[in-house]
Amino acid sequence: MRITKFAIPEIIFGHGSLDHLAPCARRLGASRVLLVSDKGLESSGWVERVMDILSGNGLEWVYFADCSSNPRDHQVHEGAQIYREERADVVIALGGGSPMDTAKGIGTIVGNGGRISDYEGANKIMRPLPPMIFLPTTAGSGSDISQFCIITDVERRLKMSIISRSLVPNVSIIDPQVLLTKSEELIIASAIDAFAHAVESYLSLLASPFTDHQALRAMELIMANLMPAVERRDPHALEQLSIASTAAGMSFSNAGLGIGHSLAHSLGGMFDVLHGLVHPVLLPHVMRYNLPVSVDRLAAIGRIVVGPRVASAESIARAGIERLGEFFAGLGVPVRLGQLLPDRSALETIARTAVHDACTLTNPRAVTWQDLLTICEEAW
Amino acid sequence: MTQGTSLDDLIGIEHSKLGFFQELRQTIEQLKAAHRDSERNRLEIEAILDGITDLMMVLSKDLRIIAVNHVFYDILGVRDPEGRYCYEIFRHQDHPCPECPAHRSFVTDEVCRETSIFRINGRKLQFEMVASPIKDPATQDRQILIFKRDVTLEKEFQAKFHQAEKMATVGMLAAGVAHEVNNPLTAIHGFAEGILRRVERLRGIVDPEMHADLADYAGTILGECGRCQEIVHSLLTFSRPHSSEFSPVNLNVVVGDTLKLLHNHLKQPKYRRVRIDARLCPTAPVVLACEAQLKQVMLNLLVNALDAFDGSAGPEGKGQAGPPKGDTGSVDGDAPDGVEYLPTVNGGRGRNGVEAVITVTPFRDGRHAGFVVRDTGSGIPPEHLDSLFEPFFTTKPVGRGIGIGLSTCYTIVTEHGGDIRVESRVGEGSTFTVTLPLPPE
Repeated sequence: MRITKFAIPEIIFGHGSLDHLAPCARRLGASRVLLVSDKGLESSGWVERVMDILSGNGLEWVYFADCSSNPRDHQVHEGAQIYREERADVVIALGGGSPMDTAKGIGTIVGNGGRISDYEGANKIMRPLPPMIFLPTTAGSGSDISQFCIITDVERRLKMSIISRSLVPNVSIIDPQVLLTKSEELIIASAIDAFAHAVESYLSLLASPFTDHQALRAMELIMANLMPAVERRDPHALEQLSIASTAAGMSFSNAGLGIGHSLAHSLGGMFDVLHGLVHPVLLPHVMRYNLPVSVDRLAAIGRIVVGPRVASAESIARAGIERLGEFFAGLGVPVRLGQLLPDRSALETIARTAVHDACTLTNPRAVTWQDLLTICEEAW
Repeated sequence: MTQGTSLDDLIGIEHSKLGFFQELRQTIEQLKAAHRDSERNRLEIEAILDGITDLMMVLSKDLRIIAVNHVFYDILGVRDPEGRYCYEIFRHQDHPCPECPAHRSFVTDEVCRETSIFRINGRKLQFEMVASPIKDPATQDRQILIFKRDVTLEKEFQAKFHQAEKMATVGMLAAGVAHEVNNPLTAIHGFAEGILRRVERLRGIVDPEMHADLADYAGTILGECGRCQEIVHSLLTFSRPHSSEFSPVNLNVVVGDTLKLLHNHLKQPKYRRVRIDARLCPTAPVVLACEAQLKQVMLNLLVNALDAFDGSAGPEGKGQAGPPKGDTGSVDGDAPDGVEYLPTVNGGRGRNGVEAVITVTPFRDGRHAGFVVRDTGSGIPPEHLDSLFEPFFTTKPVGRGIGIGLSTCYTIVTEHGGDIRVESRVGEGSTFTVTLPLPPE
């Protein structure tokens, strides 16, 4: 068996855990915090809430909100400049994957200097980052757990994967209350993103007993709780989605992902598509592509999706993939690639770019760009 | 980006979240080393500063004390001088001293020197001061570093040395003069006695009037011879080499003898309006002292008093504040040889026109004896009062004195267990009072 590794941040979980932000920050040496968030969170009132917590505990803060949904390299550099000019210390990110990845990028530049593209790839970060506390507001991205940071290189029109243990935040405070204010679309998109993390990391070449357990648990929780969460905003269901997202994050951070995310990164880099909306489209096709090498694992997923039954592993796997497609369709999200892109002309470029993505490395079945193009054609 | 990236890279067994620990530890080590260095430097500097035996101060621009060394505490005994004004501690004044070298150093940005006397804990101490400007490289603030060296003893020794040298010369001269004068005097005296004896034999032979004249002349010659002998004797006692043997000395005699010595000096035209009024003490003021030294004190005080009427120069140890009213300087220099001074005992023979008076009064009370020399001369400006007894302090022009007279007086009186004080007002005159302890009954 391959030697693996399992690394996660300190995780503070539970209703009202947000209140522990100030003592955590102070323990990490905070006196003037760089708070990274985005406009969407401002309207929900959570940014103001965090600012109040900081001010109420005698901490100064500098606010940076210039994070787009696929964070850009120049935004990272602006944030790092503000951090230096304002003499901030601890970085706090509030939001989904975008503010958190922006915060990771800012920390990287602050600690190491240079341009963010210098750190593209694995283990290129050689100096410490400022302490980071992440407050995820979407149960999906897993960025608050992971060692991944995805930043768009605007000039090259591609998403760079930056992978380093130093990108794992010091503390992740997960408060399910925050999820209550999210839109239905965002709950669905992030839950499917988390589900994709679970599936891909479960199939990954680097999957280990420690990540398998987290991945399977995440899939179970999402299947059981997504509908009640969407339909009734059931607090219990939302809490379970948070746990699922965190578990999926623990899994993919350590096991890596697969070609589904390679394609999603490529699509996001070129067309600025919302990351969570790519997976309902691609995931079933990716699973089908991997079936020849991962029958048993896909069967295990199938049992979670369709329930235990007596059948061959392959038929259960196929049944699971089919059911998953219907499940996504039933959520009212796009399920054809043609609904996301203007035309098919870019598909080859997308495939050619995706084959170089870090996530391609851990996919269980080897791929060429032609294979990826075929998957995209099937999904169209 | 997969080029060069492998599954092992993704697992990253060798890689961990980088902490600041290593960096912090290095920084702490560097800080510790820097601290050790600066502590060693501090101790070195402290040792150097402790080795300096001069009083040292750092002053701010407004002459507030910023730092001092241990000598400061030793000499002044002031516990917390930081923040106080330097003149407040040294002079008990609320304004800077006019001769302050620190102030000058600030203005000129150069090293300035000055010697001054300070009264510290009842003792008069003379300090040689060196003020040098220092600039704080961080704040560009200017400060002054002052060294004060106690030269009191040095100056006293110098003064004593000069005095001893002078007295040795005077003693030799006096001995020579006494020898040379005594010989002819003996002959004159002998022949005058012979003449007097023979004059008796001429009675009735020569004209009675002529006889009386001859007898009178011979008597006068004998009398003057006696006076000459007394002067020679005074000169000898005055110039006797310094001896610490004390004997009973009558201050009335000291006054009388000193006035005799001054007799000739007072004949100068410039003193013709000066009257010396000596009022002897009816109860004999006898102290245990060295007669010659007390005469020296008396002589110095009288010469000083006379100089207070001399428009051309200030007294030794006195500032000249311009000719006072009644200064003899206003009288024509070519006036006839009318000697206006009256070196009298008990005075009382003053005439109209005598405008300057020096009063010498020996006294005796329950526990002390002493004498007061009061003049109605020019007086001493207040700023010079403190420096009066300082060796080599003089306002006289070159050639008129080197400034050891009053300092010698001070030393002699102090060695006799006594005290010398001065009161003075510009334009009204000065009073010097010498007090000596009476011998036990």
